[in-house]
Amino acid sequence: MIRLSVSNVHKRFGGLHVLKGVTFEVEGPELIGLIGPNGAGKTTLTNVLDGAIKPNAGTVYLNGRRIDQLPPYQVAAAGLGRTFQVTRSFRRMSVLENLYVPALATRRRGDRKAIHAKAMEVLEFLTMAHLRNEYAQALSGGQQKLLELGRLLMLDPEVVVLDEPFAGVHPRLMEIIYAYIRRVNEEGKAIILISHQMDSIFSLSQRLLVLNFGDLIADGPPGEVKRDPAVIEAYLGTEDPEEPEESEKFGESGEKRDAGARNGDIGEEEPRAPAPAAVAATGRGGDTGRRSGGE
Amino acid sequence: MRRKVPHLLGFALLAFFLAFPFVYSANDYAYVMHIMITAFFYAILASSWSMLAGYAGQFSFGHIGFMGVGAYTAALFSHYFWLSPAPTELCTEYRFGETWLVVVNPIGVTSTTLTQDCLRQAMEAWGGAVQPTRMPVWIGILLGALMGGVFGFLIGVLVLRLRAAYLALFTLGFAEILKATISAEIEITRGQAGMELPALFEHGVTLFGHTFDKTDKLPPYFVMFGLLLACLAILAWLAGSKFGLFVRALREDQDAAAALGVDTTRYKVLVFVITTMMAAAAGAVQAHYVGIVTPNNLFLLQMSLVVAMAVIGGVESFIAAAIGAILIEVVLELLRNSFVIGGVEIDMTIWRLVFFGIVLMLTLRFARNGLIAPLLGYFTRGHVARETVEHRLGPRPRVEEAAAK
Repeated sequence: MIRLSVSNVHKRFGGLHVLKGVTFEVEGPELIGLIGPNGAGKTTLTNVLDGAIKPNAGTVYLNGRRIDQLPPYQVAAAGLGRTFQVTRSFRRMSVLENLYVPALATRRRGDRKAIHAKAMEVLEFLTMAHLRNEYAQALSGGQQKLLELGRLLMLDPEVVVLDEPFAGVHPRLMEIIYAYIRRVNEEGKAIILISHQMDSIFSLSQRLLVLNFGDLIADGPPGEVKRDPAVIEAYLGTEDPEEPEESEKFGESGEKRDAGARNGDIGEEEPRAPAPAAVAATGRGGDTGRRSGGE
Repeated sequence: MRRKVPHLLGFALLAFFLAFPFVYSANDYAYVMHIMITAFFYAILASSWSMLAGYAGQFSFGHIGFMGVGAYTAALFSHYFWLSPAPTELCTEYRFGETWLVVVNPIGVTSTTLTQDCLRQAMEAWGGAVQPTRMPVWIGILLGALMGGVFGFLIGVLVLRLRAAYLALFTLGFAEILKATISAEIEITRGQAGMELPALFEHGVTLFGHTFDKTDKLPPYFVMFGLLLACLAILAWLAGSKFGLFVRALREDQDAAAALGVDTTRYKVLVFVITTMMAAAAGAVQAHYVGIVTPNNLFLLQMSLVVAMAVIGGVESFIAAAIGAILIEVVLELLRNSFVIGGVEIDMTIWRLVFFGIVLMLTLRFARNGLIAPLLGYFTRGHVARETVEHRLGPRPRVEEAAAK
């Protein structure tokens, strides 16, 4: 059973008090959204969780083991993996090599054949198998995001922290990322998802954490959080976001609705658009020009 | 098939270098062999530096300093440590059974050996009745390599938090400090006068049923070539193992590598230790081969030459760096002749370095990965683009599946 306990974590950078006693627990395969305005401390919290930054005070325990003083590579081995807000693929290494790194780094005895098979399975899942020998620098921005997610699958941590996985990603790739999140969650992992894409985060998350200038101002089901006056004041704005009840459920309808919304059709399309329409909408988006729907 | 071409070329080169000393028989044999030995020496430096800078991204300018650590360790060892069957009763000495390990006192360059060098005085007193012997050369070379590793470890730990330009400046500082220290410690290192070393095979060696004198070039040729092959074999093994994968990840993004479980500290220090040991071993062998080592061997110009060789060959491939080093050393020597074009005599002894500089600048501008590495890449990675294109133009089942839904 996964158990991540973050208690009373403080972090200061000079005069800035970036995290002010953040406390929360993750139990079991939860899918948690972490939101907050820019400068709220989301990425700092991620860095504290992964060991890149040591907190000034407070503790982080993962499955009973204290991890807040460990270096990042030990935190990764202990079972917490993260992606970066700005994609950080190993650019002058092939796609496969990118995937081998976490697998070989965290396994005592790396069975290369098994690792290769897993890497190929991951690439098939991310629809990137044909790019396996290309250097990562040859990939598009979206594909690099997928690659970074693929590396996490290879690391196979128990807690996954995704920092802005949807930023600058095309709707079709977004669907893959949705599938990815669903897969990781179904594999029994806990996910902490940071995003400014309100539609995505409200439809995916089972629980929402809201950070505001270092304070954790809300922690609860998305529906409740959405109506929390403090959250509206700090982040969401006074206008109530559309259709809160619909999007609470993490599932197909939410996902499709999202795909439509990101094509710039907010308000024009029916929230519960029939599936073929959604597929067609993404097809029109054009992807990289290789996969037009008319074929 | 195409992917096998580099291997075939490799075997051809190997065969060429193995056969060369037996096949070549012109008048300038000794000179040409000397150039080849020097070329192998630079190839070891350039290829190990390419592992450090090209693979691991640690742009160190201290490589020539580590070479100097190896050379001076071997020189100091052979200068100060002797074995004697009888005690001198003048020097510091330690008894091991019937043999005494004699440590000669440092006297610098201005003193006279007969009045102040304890061993010379003892030998004078013995009048030839007792013959002290030098320590075996190979122990000095081994110690030189180990000492290079120790220095590499210390520098590796010190530069852990430094990146890019700061690392380059730090390591440059290390090399310069080392040079200044060796120049200043005249009493121990003899300063600018340099230290003499015994030849690799001081008493000659018998190979292939032929006895070679200590001045013959063939034995040192094979020693240096053997060292080069050993280094290349180790580098090839490292590059193909997870070590190579991790140091390249380190070069690309240290934080991301750490977040994926790579112990970046360990690999950063390890790559320093391994590559500096290679540089130091090459330095020790070269010092014994040349017979003298001076602080001028550690000049920044030497480092620039190594960097230029690796860059022109291709810094992200240690094989390309090694080939680049050999080619450049040979070409620079070939260009030593002056020639006449249209009545104008061009003295290439000076202009060859200008030519070299221009090649370096053009390489940096137009071929960032060197001139040889892309050739190797054409054979080893040429299929990649083709596969991607084939995939793009071929059937796309995934799209059809999606449409069926």
